Amino acid sequence: MNYKLLHIFRNTPFGRETFLQSLYFCKTIKAYPVVYIPKSDKFLMYFSNDAVQVDLDHSYLNSPETAKAHAEALFEEAGINPMFYEPKNFTASTLPDVSTNFDYLCCPRSVSDLSSKIGLGHIGPKVRRIIKHATFPVLISSPVFKSWTGISVFFGGSENAVKSLTLGLKIAMASGLPLNLYTLIEKNGEDYYREVVQKRNMESLVDKYVTKWHFYENEAFDTMLYEVPHDSLIVLGAYGHGIIKELLLGSKMEIIQSTVTNNLLIVGPNCTISLQ
Amino acid sequence: MQTIKNIYRAIYYRLFRLDDRLLLIVAGSLAGICSGLAAVALRLSLESVIEWLHPFRHYWWAFVLPAAGALLSSLYLEKVSKEGAGHGVPEVIYAVSRYGGLLRLRSSYSRLISSFLTISSGGSAGPEAPVVMSGSAIGSNIAKFLVLNDRQRITLVGCGTAGAISAIFNAPIAGLVFSIEVLLGEWKFVNIIPIAIAAVAGAQISQAIIPEQVLFNHQPFNTMAADILPCLCLAVLTAFTSVFFTKSLRKIGGFAKKSSLPLWSRAIIGGCLVGVIGIHMPLVLGEGYHFIQTMISGSFSMGLFLTFVAIFAKIFATAMTLGWGGSGGIFAPCLLIGSLTGVAFHKTLFFLLPSAGIASEGAYALLGMTGLISGVMQAPLTGIFLIVEITGGYETILPLILVSSISATMSHYIEPASFYLKDLIEKGQFMRPGTDARILSDLSLNEIIETNYTKVSENMVFRDFIEIIKLSQHNFFPVIEDETQIYKGIIQIRTIRKYALEPGMYDMVFLNQIMDTEVATASLEDDLQDVLDMMDLNNMDSIPVVENGRFVGMIQKTRILDLYRRELIMQTNI
Amino acid sequence: MELSIFDLSKHLGVVPDTIERWVRQGKLPVSKTGSNYRFRASELQKWASKHNISLNISDKKVPEKKNEAGIPLSHAVQNGGVYYDLLGEDVKSVLNASLERISKIPKDFKPDLLDRLMEREQALSTGIGNGIAIPHPRVPLGYLNEPLVAVCFLENPVDYQAMDQQPVKVLFLILCPDLKFHLHLLSALSFCLRDKSFVQFLNSCPDPGALIEKIDVLQNLNPL
Repeated sequence: MNYKLLHIFRNTPFGRETFLQSLYFCKTIKAYPVVYIPKSDKFLMYFSNDAVQVDLDHSYLNSPETAKAHAEALFEEAGINPMFYEPKNFTASTLPDVSTNFDYLCCPRSVSDLSSKIGLGHIGPKVRRIIKHATFPVLISSPVFKSWTGISVFFGGSENAVKSLTLGLKIAMASGLPLNLYTLIEKNGEDYYREVVQKRNMESLVDKYVTKWHFYENEAFDTMLYEVPHDSLIVLGAYGHGIIKELLLGSKMEIIQSTVTNNLLIVGPNCTISLQ
Repeated sequence: MQTIKNIYRAIYYRLFRLDDRLLLIVAGSLAGICSGLAAVALRLSLESVIEWLHPFRHYWWAFVLPAAGALLSSLYLEKVSKEGAGHGVPEVIYAVSRYGGLLRLRSSYSRLISSFLTISSGGSAGPEAPVVMSGSAIGSNIAKFLVLNDRQRITLVGCGTAGAISAIFNAPIAGLVFSIEVLLGEWKFVNIIPIAIAAVAGAQISQAIIPEQVLFNHQPFNTMAADILPCLCLAVLTAFTSVFFTKSLRKIGGFAKKSSLPLWSRAIIGGCLVGVIGIHMPLVLGEGYHFIQTMISGSFSMGLFLTFVAIFAKIFATAMTLGWGGSGGIFAPCLLIGSLTGVAFHKTLFFLLPSAGIASEGAYALLGMTGLISGVMQAPLTGIFLIVEITGGYETILPLILVSSISATMSHYIEPASFYLKDLIEKGQFMRPGTDARILSDLSLNEIIETNYTKVSENMVFRDFIEIIKLSQHNFFPVIEDETQIYKGIIQIRTIRKYALEPGMYDMVFLNQIMDTEVATASLEDDLQDVLDMMDLNNMDSIPVVENGRFVGMIQKTRILDLYRRELIMQTNI
Repeated sequence: MELSIFDLSKHLGVVPDTIERWVRQGKLPVSKTGSNYRFRASELQKWASKHNISLNISDKKVPEKKNEAGIPLSHAVQNGGVYYDLLGEDVKSVLNASLERISKIPKDFKPDLLDRLMEREQALSTGIGNGIAIPHPRVPLGYLNEPLVAVCFLENPVDYQAMDQQPVKVLFLILCPDLKFHLHLLSALSFCLRDKSFVQFLNSCPDPGALIEKIDVLQNLNPL
């Protein structure tokens, strides 16, 4: 299949780590990375119900004359045919529209702050908005390139969790890597979660591809996070909470991403994932 | 609790979701009120700051004021709100035609602030385009909040615009007409009602806060049959002036873009130049409503020569302000230039024929405004209704229509694209509903492509291929490499027919010897327009689509015709 | 009745992507439940008539043209029957003898059919070589209920002006109510006759059961 991942190239050592991650991800699941080398410090992404303007920080525009050569060198190292994305339409002369017609998008944890600030900090507001509206899953790379040899899906039983399970299965099928399911039991027992899977007719697939389904009690969230293998790709769903709810309650995603160094593949509420 | 929820849902779905007229009217009036408030806020704050800055205008250093304003405004736009440059109306039209009217939330205030900085400091620009931008962004964001679809969102964008224009001029019909004629470009029943209501809402807001009734007061004019001939001449004159105005705006703006000066220094240079002109000719500063008022009421004191100079000075100042970093619209400058043109024309006529029995200078200022508005925007109806409404008189309607239509026609003849649309047309992004460009841009290759083709290996013997042909309905067979599955070429039945009828060749050739490798291919990212051009150029009826070296499918002209027709029906009927 | 995106895309003849875009653009009446779109047939019908769009939601679609597989050759042979030891010394007499034996042809039409078969033979002999001929009329025979192929083994070989000048021993009479059956049967038959072992098998005047079985095996090898 022709899955494509959009990578916004940052011509810095930090950006290189992110790009290596993209390349690794693509090689593992047999997708194609498409690189966009920004020429202005902002671009727009039009989703079905929102226009998100992404303001990039200045390091994205660093030494544009070497950017392409750097990207090509990394492509070559990975043995992938270089592909570049050129925006075709412009909302204003300095504001290109970047197509949203991709299957994955790779983001560092934040696109508009300086890399020094982020380490394992918060997910930037733009990245969050992209996740909220995107019809594709977003790969949030670890700060430093980290290969992974397994897939961990956080499954909470909701609609979105089913999507992330589907995505996890899809990646497991494409890559042939082992898949582990992690569930934090909240109100219902183990059976409830199995029922959810059963209702969606995904039982046979789960039996076939999932190595182990781990269950944890509600308090054991931190234990669970610790026990997730450090060299696995975490697939999880994000919810479309409003900003106030998120400030008051905090979001699971936020805790997860600030605790673990793994690569995260986040399934937003508007994603559509099919197993074909 | 459950029953309440059910009742709510029933009402919601019955009333709003299935038949959206009521929803659009409610949301549209909300958009009209909000954008009206924004427009009134801008107008009031402009008035008070201009008043406050007035004493400083007489100092020698006053020329730096526009520079400071332009500097702040461009820095604000670029660094704080990070908006793209430009006055925004083309951006709205672009968003309406390509993305169903999706606009960013920040657009709803950023242009207000930047244009406030520009105009209040004396930059030669108008507050109308900024309020159009913010009004439409408000409408769009209300639609976003209510999760409406594209068609409804576009209507709300129109509502916001209508509310803004009608509030800033206190001219509801002009708001309605501008919104439909310039922005949406389609007169549809479902659009007109909500937009009209939004326009009225905007006007009401403006009347409630600013009690004055019309923008420009004047004595009743007496226009007679004798005015018809001079009107025709004036229309031609305004047409030329508007073309000149449009061209100089673009030329001077383009010059600034080409120069390698940083943004802030551009703004300073442009602002200072405007300031210097302003010291000698205060008429060019700001939006200039005050001078329009004096011209309409006939108390304009400049002589003939100075009036002519003023026209060019205003044009130059506006171009410097807008092209070199300031932010604002061309509506108010158009009005001022138009009334200056009208007055100059009247003075010339009076000078040549002192005894001619024609209407007063004020009436000609009015006609000049209409002529320029219609000429620059190429929107005759907007010109007519705007002038009628802001002057509150119908007695000049006949010459107004005459001047407006002739000026619009003339300038359209000289320069087929209006000021707002020129950029879009140049980029090929001007897509009104139901036009060829719009249909082609809506149809993506994904929707047209046919994928059920049988791929064959390049190492297949011709005899085996003949067996495949027997079973297949297709005329095209993509040839791929065995291991990598990479597309190598394509076999068309049309070209191999003579070999297929020659059994002696069956065991002699492999497919890579008879496949066609020269065929042009398309990629899924290509626009349909480009693909069609490519097909025309190469004289093809079908074109293979190859992505990452893999064959995906074929695009066929017959399928395009089929879908094109469906799309045309969908766009024009609904 | 409710329709999914997929159903509707079939009815409107577009891909599901297009339907999704139309929904996004607000061109179709839709109700959304969760993340799935549902279309109500009655609403769609109303919408279509209002906008003058031809929409055929009911299942009464014009039946797609069936693949002309028609009737298998073995079946047609079963219909037509196998006849042995036909007498006659020229083309006309053997054809007449064959027609006399085939009971499925109504009596009144037999003389006419004979004329037509002869007409065809005079235009161009149907003897295809190896002692085999495929006599058939050029026009469809409306009075037949189903296509039939009659296999007739002759007592004495007859000169048939065949391509290879060999006298003909076996006749395959193809009689069809419709031209499309005719083409199919003709092509299926010539596929079988290309097989040398089958021709030899015919020379041994096999009994009907064995013949039909053999044809059945052979026609399954035919990819068409």
